[in-house]
Amino acid sequence: MALSVWSVLFVNQETLFSYNRAEMISYIFVAALLQGLILATSLHGLAQRVYSGEISSLLLKPMSLFSYLAIEEVADKARNVLATIIESGILLVLFQPQIVMPSSGALILFLLWTCGGVLLNFLFSLLFGTLGFWSPETWGPKFLFFIFLDFSAGKLFPLNILPVWLQTMLSFTPFPYLTFMQTQLFLDKVPVGDLLKHSFLILFWVALLALLNSLLWKRGFKSYAAQGQ
Amino acid sequence: MQRLAIYWRVWKMSGTNALQVAFVNRGTNLFFLLGKSFRFLISLLFLLLIKEQVTTVGGYTNDEMVVFFLTYQLIDVTSQSILRNVYQFGSQVKSGELDFLLIKPLNPLFRILTDKPDINDLLFLFPMTIGSAYLLSTLSLSITPLSAVLFAVLFINGLILALALHIFIVAIAVSIVEIEGVVWLYRDITALGRFPVTIYHESLRLALFFLVPIGLMTTVPAQVLLNTKLSVSLPLVFVITGATLILSVLFWKYSLKKYSSASS
Repeated sequence: MALSVWSVLFVNQETLFSYNRAEMISYIFVAALLQGLILATSLHGLAQRVYSGEISSLLLKPMSLFSYLAIEEVADKARNVLATIIESGILLVLFQPQIVMPSSGALILFLLWTCGGVLLNFLFSLLFGTLGFWSPETWGPKFLFFIFLDFSAGKLFPLNILPVWLQTMLSFTPFPYLTFMQTQLFLDKVPVGDLLKHSFLILFWVALLALLNSLLWKRGFKSYAAQGQ
Repeated sequence: MQRLAIYWRVWKMSGTNALQVAFVNRGTNLFFLLGKSFRFLISLLFLLLIKEQVTTVGGYTNDEMVVFFLTYQLIDVTSQSILRNVYQFGSQVKSGELDFLLIKPLNPLFRILTDKPDINDLLFLFPMTIGSAYLLSTLSLSITPLSAVLFAVLFINGLILALALHIFIVAIAVSIVEIEGVVWLYRDITALGRFPVTIYHESLRLALFFLVPIGLMTTVPAQVLLNTKLSVSLPLVFVITGATLILSVLFWKYSLKKYSSASS
């Protein structure tokens, strides 16, 4: 849909929101790939698994719970990426759009930032999992978060088409690092001087979320009972 | 008439049950409502942002694009609120619960499709309709009483099409048990109706009018409301709707004949 809509919007325009046609088409394809790689997760039901006591059996396994969940997540992402590659491949063959390719240096950094994004989303999923320690109402907050994430990560449309005040607000959150910033790097739209800053910011958000997770999971396990499991 | 009263009583009972569940999980439902409202506002924001950059999209003005989007929202949310139980049908087949529905003195499709109305969507319909009406009043459109009446007729026609497509989904689910993928495919295809389907590539456009008639569900009603040229004539719209409904019921009956009740 995004491909068709943006193609129509570019019929009578050379550039829109500082994107030319090739850049916007590239944005759509890269964002779709990152959707499968970063945003898609197998841990939607983690909080419910915690609340129902289902994780008890995982806690008894000779490996840490987080390693087990990480492996589940990697397997799910491999499947998603494969599906996205097939889907994108068909679209590329059908429409043969012009795709912007980054330099090799930018591509390496793009892969590193993507790994950072994967880690960030994994930590977010774990964070939502802790809801299950204290409340049966786990789907509502997660649903609202998903909807907000679709928007704030740049999955629906590039964040730099938004009003400046909204872009500024979002830049103080980790969400743009879950798709948007990676696509900007791919399209060579991040000033070289800012690359280090963004790399540090990804590390900062990863560290902060890891710390928050550590605190909440420890506290959660203290109140975990799972009677009847 | 008496038969209709029975169906109404059954639906009222399942609706009341769904309402009670919604009140028990008040927090969760509040989050769902907030999420749906946020998604609605973001889509509107996107249309407003486009308005600043382009004057027409695929031959339609930006105000008209808003009407297409609001029409899609109205038909989609209404149909989802009524037919939400379809999402759970896969597990009903797996667990064998379907057998209990088949032996009841009611058409099994009725409970399969409408058993648990989505209270969130029903609640969301009120603010969304009020907001949409307000938004429409601010746009420069030429809506006449006749176009409004025809829109109402096509709105009901759109719901019938949604019903037919959901019958296809449950018929497929009886055969392959897995329903999630089919439902999400339907949701993704329906989402194409957020914009007039006439803007898409010709092959896709034809498929959306005549194969999976999302265009008849969302685009034609909006075209009628706007008094613009119709992509498909009204008699043909009704013929395709009738044919889709009949085919879906026939396919459902065919699937039931093949159903072996292996899980129960």
